Amino acid sequence: MDSASSQPDFDYLFKLLLIGDSGVGKSSLLLRFTSDSFDDLSPTIGVDFKVKMVTIGGKKLKLAIWDTAGQERFRTLTSSYYRGAQGIIMVYDVTRRDTFTNLSDVWAKEIDLYSTNQDCIKMLVGNKVDKESERVVTKKEGIDFARQYGCLFLECSAKTRVNVEQCFEELVLKILDTPSLLAEGSAGVKKNIFKQKPPAPDASTSSCC
Amino acid sequence: MGKGKLKHSVPDPTGEELETFQTFGVRPGSSHMETDDEHEKESIVLIHHKIGNVVLQEEMKMELECELSERVVNLEALRRITGSGHLDGVFRPQVWKLLLGYLPAERDAWEGELAANRSRYAELKKELLVNPSESCWKEDDISSSEQQVGLLCRHEISNGDHPLNNGKASIWCRYFEDAEIVKQIDRDLQRTHPDIKFFTRDSALGKSNQEAMKDILFLFAKLNPAIGYVQGMNEVLAPLYFVCRTDLNVQNASNVEADCFACFVRLMCDSVNHFCEQLDNSAMGIHGTLHHLSELLRANDQELWQHLMILCKVNPQFYAFRWITLLLTQEFNFHSVIRLWDSLLSNPLGVQEMLLRVCCAMLVLVRDELLAGDFTSNLKLLQHYPQVDPECLLNLAHRITPITASQLKN
Repeated sequence: MDSASSQPDFDYLFKLLLIGDSGVGKSSLLLRFTSDSFDDLSPTIGVDFKVKMVTIGGKKLKLAIWDTAGQERFRTLTSSYYRGAQGIIMVYDVTRRDTFTNLSDVWAKEIDLYSTNQDCIKMLVGNKVDKESERVVTKKEGIDFARQYGCLFLECSAKTRVNVEQCFEELVLKILDTPSLLAEGSAGVKKNIFKQKPPAPDASTSSCC
Repeated sequence: MGKGKLKHSVPDPTGEELETFQTFGVRPGSSHMETDDEHEKESIVLIHHKIGNVVLQEEMKMELECELSERVVNLEALRRITGSGHLDGVFRPQVWKLLLGYLPAERDAWEGELAANRSRYAELKKELLVNPSESCWKEDDISSSEQQVGLLCRHEISNGDHPLNNGKASIWCRYFEDAEIVKQIDRDLQRTHPDIKFFTRDSALGKSNQEAMKDILFLFAKLNPAIGYVQGMNEVLAPLYFVCRTDLNVQNASNVEADCFACFVRLMCDSVNHFCEQLDNSAMGIHGTLHHLSELLRANDQELWQHLMILCKVNPQFYAFRWITLLLTQEFNFHSVIRLWDSLLSNPLGVQEMLLRVCCAMLVLVRDELLAGDFTSNLKLLQHYPQVDPECLLNLAHRITPITASQLKN
């Protein structure tokens, strides 16, 4: 257990968000990343929140990661979590086609609607590659989607830990490469990061519903 | 911890003497202890409390047995015994059914009530768990008997209920939509208490339990199309199903699905609004209830409210959404959940009223940690709530001062 309660020294604090259909393995991915374990998890209800301290690209980082519920019913509730995120990870299950088609039908639209950060880095992650024999979404399809929507892309397995760390690392490296996001996450403004005043967003992003 | 913060003005609604549970506040013989040694103090008191309880437990068990054998069960007595934590597990199935109103207070009416409900359930199942190919056959039979020789008139040609017709009214379309719901339920049931054998598919019992729970949830979704199946209903069903299934009465245990369905419907009556997206922004929906919780905390512990809500910006939606919609099922171990539900179900003012008290007590119980924490540590604490003694929590919950409707509006 890492205690983040006392003044930790970090260079940047980034807010990351996990989205995608129910049962694709968002919580498992996060559990693997934050505590290197794999377990049968109950479906996420509402939202789950985890913090991880990492050193990436020579910088000490505090990652605040919000793990959202995938079921449709929770979408109106989870929309508020997009606000102020520097990175969004869209997860699908390579063994379930509907979780992939919902990326363009649902999740990309949700980002457009609710993300307040124009420069926010998006990452597409195809999970469960350990079930290679059950795969129905090819890697090429994933790459094509990522290209079309301007996302980073990786395939991984929370179960076998293949590529899990890389998912977060790639995303964070890209955030570190983006000056506007860096400014938001710098330790100087860390106190305000959760109050997150959207920096005068245009009308389309500030109003929901 | 939260001692001294709460006024003692609220009597325990169950009428149980609070002294027995007085684990907070000043106690004789405790003055020599270090004040920061809270946990030790509490555990010593708990031991005393448990020894005293053995005698009490036996008395209560006898009283309960007596009550349950009366011609007309005294629900008030039932509530008092159950709410105070003295419900012997053997009686729980019966008591929960009585408290939920599934069993009437008059013993003589039980048999008839149960039989009627069970046959109603069987019919419901037959009606709603249809296989479209069967119903198409039936319709064909009827129409062919009515048909006269010769060509069909235009209006007699049906739109065709065949699997490729994806019109909204098609039986097959509904069938495929239903199949999606069932798949979702199935996925969630496989993730419901995977650590408890009773719920896993490793055994024949576990398998049949999952099948029964699947049908219950599916029928509930079909009968409540505005809500459907929402993730988390599986968690709410689990303790109820467990209790109904572990009934020592063989006949009750074998009719678990029908009985449990009726109990589930009754339990959900009180909390179904929280699952309903359309009500999210109304006072009846989940946000209204979260606001209620926040105001309850403010009225009972202004300092803590100020710290959590204003300073740390830990919105109740981040943690209490799950506490409330799932009736605490994911916050505590299964054993504690059952104990907490004894109190939720036996509250004369309803499950939700007690639930909010318990939620508020959960905050007050860890107030020292919360007051010392920031956004991150507080959210972590509340999303992964420590496994506290349910009796401590309930004792505190009974001392939460309710708020008036006008307080809630402001």
